[in-house]
Amino acid sequence: MDVIFGLIPAMIVLGLIGVLIFFWAVKSGQYDDMEGPAHRILDDDDMPEKKDRVDDLPK
Amino acid sequence: MSQTTPCFHCGLPVSEHSGCEAEINGEKRSFCCAGCLTVCQVIHDSGLDAFYSRLNYRSAEAPPPEQVADLEQYDLPELQSEFVRDLGEGRKQAHLLVEGIHCAACVWLIEKGLAAMPGIELAEVNLAHQRLNLRWDSSSVKLSAIMLRLGRLGYAAAPFNAEAAEGSLQRRNRSLLFRMAFAGFGAMNIMWISIALYAGDFSGIDEQHKQFFQLVSFFIATPVLLYSGWPFFRSALLGLKQWRLTMDLPISIGSLSTYAYSCWVLLQTSGEVYFDTVVTFLFVILIGRYLEGLSKRNASSAALRLLELQPRLATRLLDGHGGEERISVRKLQIGDRVLVRPGEKVPADGVVLSGESYVDESMLSGESRPLHKEKGASVVAGSINVDGSLTVEVSLIGADTTLARIVALVEEAQGSKAAVQQLADRIVPWFVATTLGLALITFLYWLRGDFDSALLAAVSVLIITCPCALGLATPMGIAVGVGAGAKRGVLVRHGQALESLASITHVVFDKTGTLTEGSMRVADVSTGNGYEPERLIALAAAVESHSRHPLAAGICAEQKGARLSCSSFVSESGLGVSGEVEGQLVMIGNARLMLRAGAAIDEQMLYQQQQIESEMGVALFVAVDGQLAGLIHMQDRIRDQAPGLVALLRAQGLGITVLTGDSREAGNSLKAELGEMVVKAELMPEDKEAEIRALQQKGEKVLMIGDGVNDAPALARADVSMAMGSGMDVSMECSDIVLVGSDLGRVGFAIALAERTLATIRQNIAISLAYNLILVPAAMAAMVTPVFAAIAMPISSLLVIGNAILIRRRVGGFST
Repeated sequence: MDVIFGLIPAMIVLGLIGVLIFFWAVKSGQYDDMEGPAHRILDDDDMPEKKDRVDDLPK
Repeated sequence: MSQTTPCFHCGLPVSEHSGCEAEINGEKRSFCCAGCLTVCQVIHDSGLDAFYSRLNYRSAEAPPPEQVADLEQYDLPELQSEFVRDLGEGRKQAHLLVEGIHCAACVWLIEKGLAAMPGIELAEVNLAHQRLNLRWDSSSVKLSAIMLRLGRLGYAAAPFNAEAAEGSLQRRNRSLLFRMAFAGFGAMNIMWISIALYAGDFSGIDEQHKQFFQLVSFFIATPVLLYSGWPFFRSALLGLKQWRLTMDLPISIGSLSTYAYSCWVLLQTSGEVYFDTVVTFLFVILIGRYLEGLSKRNASSAALRLLELQPRLATRLLDGHGGEERISVRKLQIGDRVLVRPGEKVPADGVVLSGESYVDESMLSGESRPLHKEKGASVVAGSINVDGSLTVEVSLIGADTTLARIVALVEEAQGSKAAVQQLADRIVPWFVATTLGLALITFLYWLRGDFDSALLAAVSVLIITCPCALGLATPMGIAVGVGAGAKRGVLVRHGQALESLASITHVVFDKTGTLTEGSMRVADVSTGNGYEPERLIALAAAVESHSRHPLAAGICAEQKGARLSCSSFVSESGLGVSGEVEGQLVMIGNARLMLRAGAAIDEQMLYQQQQIESEMGVALFVAVDGQLAGLIHMQDRIRDQAPGLVALLRAQGLGITVLTGDSREAGNSLKAELGEMVVKAELMPEDKEAEIRALQQKGEKVLMIGDGVNDAPALARADVSMAMGSGMDVSMECSDIVLVGSDLGRVGFAIALAERTLATIRQNIAISLAYNLILVPAAMAAMVTPVFAAIAMPISSLLVIGNAILIRRRVGGFST
């Protein structure tokens, strides 16, 4: 049973790392828009080619 | 097939005669308006047709928003300094608030449409907040060009200073989220350790292991108490310093005493610890606080929004050689002469030197009709010049303008508003006194035995009375009430407003735009010389479609059928408009114009005109080829739901007052339609605010409902305020509640919702007190064990949460 003296603190440290990752995720804005990115990943194809000058854009 | 095919771009039904059809991609498509057509054309020409295959029409249902005028102003360095971040080497970053985003297809269209532009480094749309994060190279593309491109794609963009708008509140909410997450992490870990301890109580446990588990609990509970509990301790301390007892005080006493006792047990190396109770308790309370925090919005941004109404650019006339220059409004001096073109906003308060025009001051004065201004008349900053050019001599600038005075009033009213004492806070002093008293009695009673068991009994009283349910009673009720309101078009911007709304005694309405629709519509058409009313409107609409006058929109909206074409359109400020329709000269305007056209006005029509004008309507004469064809009566109509609402409020015994900037006659005609009420007319913004204050001094709890800038100080002053969703942003920023879609009928629902919410909060408080009443005797009898506390305490919280959720069902039957 003595193994728990090492395992329990180790588990808590692991959990703490999870909490820190969550804090980082919130701070870096990953939870700011819950909807957009889900669609964006599907929409990466058919990109129009980049125009060289603003005047080339259709009016 | 039915005649209402949906618009290809926005999905709104297309009326038969909108006349907007185009061939897109080889197929004929119809559109509801020219705006949709142009936008679709641009999208097609840019090769972004895939937008339409992604579009979900049901979520769209709105033509593109109106474009922002004067985009070049955003290229001015002094303006950019307010919202653009300079990343060096000409690279810049800004956040834009984009109007018109409604679904994922929009995100795609904006990102792809902008990515094709040269110089754009990053264009990322936040769908949830309708924001665009933009990074660009200012040496190859200007900000105004980017915004113009957005406009072409059918979106209106405005600079957005995120920090100013919601920085502090968002930071507070985020810190609450962190504290809640941390407490949640602690609660989950401490729970499985506690289960081992509980199991040990029943089946026996090695003393060494028990102490180890207790020690681990201590190491989990300590950081949670310090980090997650900190906001409670600080606010309880702050409250104590000001002799105020808030809900945070019993929360602090409960958690700290439980923690301290457990630490004492740990040192004694005998007895039971309650660390798990401390952590779970903080976690549950923080959930409630976080939910409550989400329902709050920053109130302070109202003043910022107000200042946005002021134009940023002015056209200053140079002395001597007759030139002109575009300068920032801040550089204007008293005595400068500025030119205000049709459609522009007046940049500063001043006096008209030359020119004549109609000026729309509705947002400042509440006057629904555009006012005629000529030489010598005074104009105010922020009002809109409708049809003629004006040269204005600047007489007041900066903090002295009417707009700036309104800003000052709003800030003053918001600052002086005392925090509403929540129901739960009124119970707190009694609660604290009772629990401390009971704990003391318990301690003294058991002291006859030994000190240890006396301390245990006294502390278990404090543990069991830990105000978990009491702390949740208000936040949960408000969170559910706010959610139920949002579903039915009542946006509660400030959760506490629901509590105040339930106890109002007096309702104050603004007239223009709130009780009435706020725009001039055709009320009646009388004709002469054998013209049909439809024909008259068709002729008038053909001419008016070229005019920018607010009345013109009202006439065009009335016209049915295909629009006739009009040539050689002339607009004469102070008189009216004229144009050629189907070979006939059509003139629309006042009596002076008719006189000049040689059209005779008969007695009866003259009488009608006086009648209309005495009721604050507008009478427009129409002449065709110099012959009087008829009279169009324009009037600002009362909203359909207004009579029903006024009757409902009166039935509930609430006092009703209407405040208006319009004349007395307008107020009297309102009484005729809505029944007896107090109507105060010809009020300036500061008078409205003073009226509210006077009512409050009489002991009334005032609900103010308004929509304009001129209502802003009154809205900020009232105990609770509601703004119309179609009104000015400023009025919404000043208000506690926004009515989506400007549906007055929802006022009744909002009041019912508030009453239900307050009733539920009361029940919740009763439940939590009853729970204490039942369990305190057990604690005083020293019968509480950690397992007992762990099982009994969540029950009260669950009861309170469940009861709060029922609010949704309780207001379900109320028809709006």
